[in-house]
Amino acid sequence: MNFLFLNNEWLAILPELFLVISINFILLYAVIYSTSPFFNFPLLINNISWLTVLLLILAFYLTINNNYLNITIFNNLLVIDLFGNFIKSFILLSTASVLIMSLTYNKFDRVNSFEFPVLIILTILGTLLLISSYDLISMYLAIELQSFCSYILSSFKRNSEFSAESGLKYFILGAFSSGFLLFGCSLIYGFTGATNYELISLLLVNSDYNSLDNSGIIVGIVFILVSFLFKLSAAPFHLWSPDVYEGSPTSVTAFFAIVPKLGLLVFFFRLFFDSFYVFLPSLQYLLIICSITSMLIGSFGAIWQIKIKRLLAFSAISHVGYMLIALCSCSIESIYAVIFYAIIYIFMSISSFCLLISIRKNSDLKKIKYIEDLTLVSKVNPFIGICFAITFFSIAGVPPFAGFFSKMFLFFSAISQSLYLLTFVGILTSVVSCFYYLRIIQITYFEQTSIWISLKKITKEISLLIGSMLLFLTLFFLHPTLLIVLIHNSILSLCM
Amino acid sequence: MLSLLIILPLIGIFCLLLVPEEKDTIIKQIALFFSSLTFLFSLFLWVLFDCSTSKFQFIEYFSWLSMFNIQFFLGIDGISLFFVILSTFLVFICVLSSWLSIKKHLKQYYICFLLMNSFLIVVFSVLDIVIFYIFFESILIPMFLIIGVWGSRTRKLKAAYQFFLYTLIGSLFMLLAIFLIFFETGTTDFQILNTIAFSKEKEIFLWLAFFLSFSVKVPMVPVHIWLPEAHVEAPTAGSVILAGILLKMGTYGLLRYSISLFPCASIYFTPLIYSMSVIAVIYTSLTTLRQIDLKKIIAYSSVAHMAFVTIGIFTFNVYGIEGSMLIMLSHGFVSSALFLCIGVLYDRHHTRLIKYYSGLAQVMPIYSFFFVSFSMANLGFPGSSSFVGEFLTLVGSFQSNTIVAFLASTGMVTGAGYSLWLCNRVLFGSLSSQYIVQFKDINRREFAVLLPLLVCTLWMGVYPELFLEPMHLSISNLLQKT
Repeated sequence: MNFLFLNNEWLAILPELFLVISINFILLYAVIYSTSPFFNFPLLINNISWLTVLLLILAFYLTINNNYLNITIFNNLLVIDLFGNFIKSFILLSTASVLIMSLTYNKFDRVNSFEFPVLIILTILGTLLLISSYDLISMYLAIELQSFCSYILSSFKRNSEFSAESGLKYFILGAFSSGFLLFGCSLIYGFTGATNYELISLLLVNSDYNSLDNSGIIVGIVFILVSFLFKLSAAPFHLWSPDVYEGSPTSVTAFFAIVPKLGLLVFFFRLFFDSFYVFLPSLQYLLIICSITSMLIGSFGAIWQIKIKRLLAFSAISHVGYMLIALCSCSIESIYAVIFYAIIYIFMSISSFCLLISIRKNSDLKKIKYIEDLTLVSKVNPFIGICFAITFFSIAGVPPFAGFFSKMFLFFSAISQSLYLLTFVGILTSVVSCFYYLRIIQITYFEQTSIWISLKKITKEISLLIGSMLLFLTLFFLHPTLLIVLIHNSILSLCM
Repeated sequence: MLSLLIILPLIGIFCLLLVPEEKDTIIKQIALFFSSLTFLFSLFLWVLFDCSTSKFQFIEYFSWLSMFNIQFFLGIDGISLFFVILSTFLVFICVLSSWLSIKKHLKQYYICFLLMNSFLIVVFSVLDIVIFYIFFESILIPMFLIIGVWGSRTRKLKAAYQFFLYTLIGSLFMLLAIFLIFFETGTTDFQILNTIAFSKEKEIFLWLAFFLSFSVKVPMVPVHIWLPEAHVEAPTAGSVILAGILLKMGTYGLLRYSISLFPCASIYFTPLIYSMSVIAVIYTSLTTLRQIDLKKIIAYSSVAHMAFVTIGIFTFNVYGIEGSMLIMLSHGFVSSALFLCIGVLYDRHHTRLIKYYSGLAQVMPIYSFFFVSFSMANLGFPGSSSFVGEFLTLVGSFQSNTIVAFLASTGMVTGAGYSLWLCNRVLFGSLSSQYIVQFKDINRREFAVLLPLLVCTLWMGVYPELFLEPMHLSISNLLQKT
């Protein structure tokens, strides 16, 4: 007889299980202590943040040591494979770095409620489950867990109007997209009678996408696709993202920029490359249009921005456009290129948001809001100047930084599928976007000003984080094979 | 040997990073030490170079991105040998020339130059087109910073942007072409690609994509706008490195990659190149006459000289190509020296407008000697290096296209016009004491910077065989393909 916890199915999702249980313990601990008059109502945010970082690192350890591979569990609700574990471990580590950089933000912007790290862990839980999900129902539930926590997070700074506005906008529009997703799922269930990815793929494998019988399925797929593109903030569905990026507390913006994309991409691969592969050729045009519009809107929209968070939001939109280039080409190289791109993008975003959060003027301890505030940072603090330059050169895709290689592999995969138009637009927009990344470098380096700012010292943790990211970005080109082989091996497991 | 040459400046950067910012002299000394060491070391390449073979020499091989069959393959032949030496030499000259004129962010300044030094060596010695592309692009970053941070006026922003974006948009198409080559052949190794022939249509497309990138860098006439801007706004040493070696990356690319990989398309597009170059020669020589900024004059004359180089490359005979190689080298010396001369004036009086200078020969005799000699070299005076190069180029182009040779030679006349007129206005006439009061002749450091350039110029003019000898076999080997 199998004892409950010795059952393989429970052991296979041990990381998620561990997170759930420890979240409960942390909540219990925080609620009891923060309301205790005996301890004089202590502020637990710092303590809890570090505890959650520890938690994430333990979960990371559990994930990379997960020996249950290539199995489906709980009546085919979830799938555990090497690819998922690889992405999960990346997500856990990047969330840990977001939490580390939020420490400074919480300290200076007086975010004192201990729920912040807990909510972030809950969002991560949703993302981890989304990566593993192998069924429309579990997928929907995971996405909802992730989105709801995100809505709360974006309106987390209760005393700020911007934050409340962004939370409300995000919630209303996100609820729409969830509705689309659910409608799409139910259409597919109605037309196939199945919710499991594998069953759907078996049912659809011989179907003809031009026949009328399948029109309901196609509508359902398009609904799901729209919701996916919304969550990814691709172009015709991008309108929420600049407002949410701007309004949310910066640590949350960093979280939105860094973490959810990878999970959503894995969801796309699992659903579309597995179940709906037959329909992908007809969807390709939709993706191509989305990709071109996101690249154009992302790069041209950012030129006129004066607030740095809005600029980063538009840059995120254009980066999503680049990722969609590879999604259009639907081949193994494209999966590989997208995952590579997303990982390098995570590295670059961590470094750029670390810089953004940590630069504070000594006079009023306010963080940087407008791009103009960065004027001559390089003179006051040359190392931060160099960090800015390297990060933004890398985001712009200038060799020899890692950002160039991610773009190179993307165009590579696009050309291998003869998507010349996309590549052409991609190249032109990357020149345009280069322009505004250069503007940031120009402002940090070349501008003349009469007002000198003195900057607060960066904390040790954040400087370590920035340093390691920059080392990765600059030295990547010396030995690129390491990361590439890692990604390649994990993707091979997806194909099996 | 080549990898050691690449690593030496990087060691210099590492040493510079350890020195605190305020210790100016130590920073300068370290930069000078490593740049001179690199230069001396690169001279060994010339000594050890075997002139009796057209093969690539000093070959080194590192596994880099083996999954895509991209390897770090280093090696030089007679064509790239002199570019490697020229770049190390000019970086050395730049470090020495900006000894006193640069006052802010000294450390970053020298780091930029040393970084450029090793990037340039990689560009000229690497035998893999992907890595060539990566380093061809990478040089934009230090140069962008040099123009932007250490440039003199507020217009430098526009210049830095133009420099960066013009080059980027051109070279991204080269990246596309490189991908196409990779999908066609499965390799990016230059030596293997050299043995592969593409179909005619593909070759024409690939040639155009490569040409877009190289023509911006050369610069050919419709896309030359960034060059005068960048030259005027960059600090003196930045102009020296820009004119002396960065422009040669374009012509080197045309010679090494466009011609040898796509010989048919190169012949197909020869009329295009000829007409663009002839327009460039005539137009820029004439427009030089009406410039009022000293640096802009030299910048436009560089465009004219580079147009000569492209004519020479596309003559497809030994005279033309060897002539263009010599023009590239001599232009590396002469235009750098002229920029340094202008830098001498700018350091003293902080203006580059011709209007304020006149009659300098009376108070700055040594300076005037150098200025006149380099101006003579610039107009292709017999005995100077440019004469040999321009003569050989015109001989070569006379063989392939008489009209082009005739039209291009008008450039020599107008070249003489603007160079002599410039000398006349700046050096002779009465001393204009209403603007400038104090005059000082060049000091020992500036003398030490200018003298080697003059020696090289005269040496190449009198005995060019020393430079031509290593090229002969490589160039005739190149021509066998076309």
